[in-house]
Parts: sequence; structure tokens; C-alpha cells
Amino acid sequence: MAGERPPKDSWSSGINTGWAVVGYLIAGMAVWGFLGWLVDRWLHLGGIGMGIGVVLGAAGAIYLIVRRFGA
Amino acid sequence: MVSGQVSLLADARPPFPPGVGDFFLPGIAGAYPWLTKFTLMVWFAVALIILFFLVSYRKPQLVPTKSQWLAESMYGFIRDGVAKEVIGARDGLRFAPYLASLFLFLLVTNVFGIIPFLQISPNAHIAFPATLAILSYILYLAVGVRKHGLVGYFKLAAIPPAPGYLLPLLIPIELVQNFITRPVTLALRLFANMFAGHLLLLVFTLGGFVLATSSSGLIKTFSPFSFLMAIVITLFELFVAALQAYVFTILTASYVESSLAESH
Repeated sequence: MAGERPPKDSWSSGINTGWAVVGYLIAGMAVWGFLGWLVDRWLHLGGIGMGIGVVLGAAGAIYLIVRRFGA
Repeated sequence: MVSGQVSLLADARPPFPPGVGDFFLPGIAGAYPWLTKFTLMVWFAVALIILFFLVSYRKPQLVPTKSQWLAESMYGFIRDGVAKEVIGARDGLRFAPYLASLFLFLLVTNVFGIIPFLQISPNAHIAFPATLAILSYILYLAVGVRKHGLVGYFKLAAIPPAPGYLLPLLIPIELVQNFITRPVTLALRLFANMFAGHLLLLVFTLGGFVLATSSSGLIKTFSPFSFLMAIVITLFELFVAALQAYVFTILTASYVESSLAESH
């Protein structure tokens, strides 16, 4: 977040960034975990689909976080 | 003498351990189940804030009186420190009244959690944070739709800056983040903080009584420490009450700001 906003803003934008990061991670893992779980149920993969979904969602969330808030 | 007191305490032994049931208050008048202590406290908070501002602005003076100074600095704190700072000097002023009302209402109702006889914050019940979060949710959606149009805002909220082949992966995350996670975490964070704080106070206060009425002398000696912890937690709760009111306001402002932004 450094450099994007004036420094006196840093505390409030820090709160915002922190919660946005947590939100992205939860959202990513929840959405793709759920889609993976559906595929699981459909193809009877026994948990592998959901695992792949969660990892994929986390990866997507981290990509978004770096893109949004990374230096 | 001492044993008499102890037996008195034992007769009126508080329900221990405290549980979720302690947060569902009974109706005050039997005929109106909605009229609980929470309802009265919310009315009281609103009346308190309105009265305070009416009284302190009744005869505004160039050199402010003490209460006028307090009222002005509280509004100024939100207007300058949150609205202008987060949303921007140009658009921020429009949202300052809503943000200031939100902050003051949250501050007063949160602090109710540690005021003697009130003892519990309405925000320890999910209904109140949820209602406030829905208000903020409607606000930032409406602001976004008015600024960018329905399709424009949806595109802004759904499509992140990323190469095309990643979009199928990222769009669902972005949608859930903007339309579900944001309002839900806004309500949950406030609710959980107030809920946990009240539960901690109950555990240490009631625990102090339970330890004092124990049959073992060794266990009795630990009772003062439980009450001491209750005092420490009370002071900590004052800090949490102010912080959570501020965080809720800051996040509402930053969601409004992201609705107004030209692009992410």
C-alpha cells in the first residue's frame, strides 16, 4: 500500500487492507472450495475435487491481493 | 457472620457457566416480546445523542462552550478523519453526516456494555449489527449504481485487473468478496467482539461468585483474582468498544470510496 496514499492515511488504510486481504482469502477458498465440492459430489472423487478447489481459490485470492495491495 | 454471607451467596447462586441463552433477553412487558432491554437501550442511545447535539448547538457561539466544543470535535473527527480522509475531500463531505451518526450510535451502544445496570451492548445481539451492516451495504451499492450505472457498477465490482485467461478464476472470488463477504464480515466483526466481551465479563464476574461459594478453602482464595480480571476486562472492553465503532465507520467509508472509484 506504500506510496499509493499520503502517509497520514496509513492507519485507516491499514485496517482496510487487512480486512480486505482476509476477505479475499475467505471468499476465494469458499467459492472454489464449494465448486470443487460440487464436482466431487458429481464425479465421486472422494475429496480430491474440493481440495483442488480450495487450493485454486486460495491461489486466485493471493493473486488478487498482490495485484491490489502489493507494492 | 462470614458463613452466613456465604450461604446467602450460595442460595442466590448465579447461573454458571454463562451461555448463549444470556443474550436472548426476555420481553419486559409480557404482551410485547419485542420490547426487551435492548429495545429500550437503542431508544435511549438515540435520545441521548439527539439531546446532546440539540443542547450543545442550541446557542452556537463563535468561541464554543465546553459541550459545543465536544460536539464539534466529535463531528469534526469523523468528517476530517474518516469522511474526507478515506472518501476524498470532494465527495467525503456528503457522507460525513451518515458516518458521524453511525459512529456515535455505535460508540454509545458499545459503551453500554460496561455501564453499570445496562451491562450489555445491543450489538452483542446479531440483529443490531446486521441491520447496521445492511444499511451500509445498501448505501455503497446505491452510491456505486448512481455513479456508474447498473451495468457499469457491476462490471467494476466483478472484473478485477487481470489478464483474460485468469478471469474465470477471479470473477467469482471478486463477486463473493464484494457482495457477500463484505457486509457479512462487517456485521460479524462487531457482533463477535461485543458478544465475546460480554461473555468474558460474565465468566469472570460470575466465576468470582462461584469460586467464593466453593466448599474448598483453597479455591475460595482465587475468587479475588477472578474479580480483578473482571475489572481489567471492563477497561479493555472500553477500548474495544471505541475501536470497533471506529473500524465499522472506517470500513463503511472505504466501501463507499471503492464504489465511487473510477476503476480499481
